[in-house]
Amino acid sequence: MPGKKLTRRQLLKTGAATAAVLAAPRWVRAQPRPVKLAVLLPLTGPFAFAGAAALEAFQDAVGLVNDELGGIAGRPLELIVEDTGYDVAKGTAAFNRVVNRERPDELLFVYGDSTGLSKALAPEITRLGLPYTATSYSGELADPERYPTIYVFGPTYQDMMEALLREIAARKPGARIALVYSNSEFGRDPIPYVKRRAAALELEIVAEEVTPLVLTDAGPVVLKLQRARADYVLTQGYVATAEPALLKAAREFGFRATFMGTYYSASNALIQRAGPAADGFLATYHNAYWYEVDVPGIRRARAYRRQKGRPNKPMTTYYVGAFFVGLTVAEAMRRAAAANRLSREGVLEALGNLADYDAFGLIHSLRFVRHRLPYTKLYRADARARRYVPYSDWIQLA
Amino acid sequence: MSFFLQLLVAGIATGALYALMAMGFVLVYRATRVVNFAIGEFLLVGGYLTYTLNLVLPLPWAMVLTLPLAFAFGLLVERGFVRPLLGRNVVAVIMATIGLALALDGATQLAWGPDQKYLEGQLPVLTLALGELILPSRSVWSLLLALPAALALVYALKRSRYGVLVRAVAESEVAALAMKIPAPRIVALVWGLSAALAAVGGALLAGLSGVGPHLIAMGLMVFPVAILGGMDSVGGALLAGMLVGVAESLSRGYLEALVPGITEATPFLIVLLVLLARPYGLFGEREIERV
Repeated sequence: MPGKKLTRRQLLKTGAATAAVLAAPRWVRAQPRPVKLAVLLPLTGPFAFAGAAALEAFQDAVGLVNDELGGIAGRPLELIVEDTGYDVAKGTAAFNRVVNRERPDELLFVYGDSTGLSKALAPEITRLGLPYTATSYSGELADPERYPTIYVFGPTYQDMMEALLREIAARKPGARIALVYSNSEFGRDPIPYVKRRAAALELEIVAEEVTPLVLTDAGPVVLKLQRARADYVLTQGYVATAEPALLKAAREFGFRATFMGTYYSASNALIQRAGPAADGFLATYHNAYWYEVDVPGIRRARAYRRQKGRPNKPMTTYYVGAFFVGLTVAEAMRRAAAANRLSREGVLEALGNLADYDAFGLIHSLRFVRHRLPYTKLYRADARARRYVPYSDWIQLA
Repeated sequence: MSFFLQLLVAGIATGALYALMAMGFVLVYRATRVVNFAIGEFLLVGGYLTYTLNLVLPLPWAMVLTLPLAFAFGLLVERGFVRPLLGRNVVAVIMATIGLALALDGATQLAWGPDQKYLEGQLPVLTLALGELILPSRSVWSLLLALPAALALVYALKRSRYGVLVRAVAESEVAALAMKIPAPRIVALVWGLSAALAAVGGALLAGLSGVGPHLIAMGLMVFPVAILGGMDSVGGALLAGMLVGVAESLSRGYLEALVPGITEATPFLIVLLVLLARPYGLFGEREIERV
């Protein structure tokens, strides 16, 4: 503007802006490159509740690693999020998008979704040499010869069933067992193993029911179990979607068998949905519940969320499971970096040497045995307290 | 024998629930020829509305008060999605319902969050025991709600003034408008009723397995039931619902051991077989087009 003098304030502003522009390239160059963890989660669809909880957990875990643990040897840990909608085709597309877009020396770990998707991706994951784990505890994935880069961050479904079968054999030798499982990869996964082990433990399988993931009416299923005079009913392949209906129907028909389930039945949602009928349901679970405040990992997560002003609500098992994976993956990356091998191979090597780490008590041990963590506890549903309570100490399964 | 009877009774009760869900769908189809692909989402909205009211009210009251809210939701859908397409090709409205389903999937998640939800309390216990035969309370409620609703709807469509108007609109919307029949209001009423019926189904299902997107999957049972009944027959929906429920129950009882997983396919196999013999379903009106 001709004839107008530059004020001191304008001069200062212009100077600061010029300095910022000139300094920016140097600053950008000085920024360490991030290390990336991609998570493929069911943020929409029938399992959005689990995906949303896992997303919060990964955000908290990554935030905690960057804010309190100094990132990955000074490099920031970056979270990449994709929605799978619990759909194999959509999940595969998300996976391809991520691996094609990201640099292999930055994308060091992928967390996937579901047994179906993980099995579909497994050959490609192996070809890429990409460290991978998933929401799935499928025994097929814990196969170091076939899939050397895939780890199961917990016991497999077979291990979980093993713990339940051992409990049944101890309680009632020769017991009559019924199997109820969903018509899905998730549901079918441990069934052949259960049949073999039941025979070895001299337990009789008297009924086998294959159902959809959700049940409109569990009456006919329960009538058959009752007719087969089952003492124990093992459920698999549901996420508190069918178990409440089964438990309610069992109560209505006066069927008194003990119902049991694996990791995804260990959510308190099962007790809330089934009400008094849930009492006594036995589930395997290998992390910690949000209300187990004596566990340092739970205290740490609670404190971090409080510090960040995040909603103070009870978090689910899906949250704790994902938070545990987030911390553990970061630890493996940190160790790989400390050994000057911050690469996919380095992370895989570090994962195999985490036996002295327990993710702040969120797992019994991180000593992988054939790429899975064969430790679990049994928890019993307490309908009055509306939560699962510990029923056993740690059970070592391999 | 008692096992067979027990399966039969359980199947009838489940079938009543299917019928309840399908009647609203059939009503819309009968009046407007629109296949509402968002019917599963209608159930979901009904479940969430009941859940919300159940936060402050006992379950029976929450279910009762859900009805007017669901009716209003149906009116809203009609006003927002259907009325703007009035007079257009029916395929456009069908496509709009597919879009509506996707929009409702996202909207419910945004509004209520993705967490697993459940209903507190229960309906009054009405379990019936006749010797060895047990009819659980939930089954009794399904029958108590579905049968009167179906009979009332059949009666209303055949005998009442509104029923005649619905049939007139179904026959020809343009002709009905020319006869000064308030077609938009009739169509709105039908959508409101449909949403209210779906809400009852959604609430009953939510009482069993909680509230969440899994209700949409349960809503898919509406399609085989409606097709089997004849798409435009409310009475047909009731009978087809019962038939599908009983077939599923007996299949679970006797066939599942021979062919694991067959029960899931049973309703669709029945539909296929019936359509081969009766292309308009069991009670559907035969349409003859002269060209």
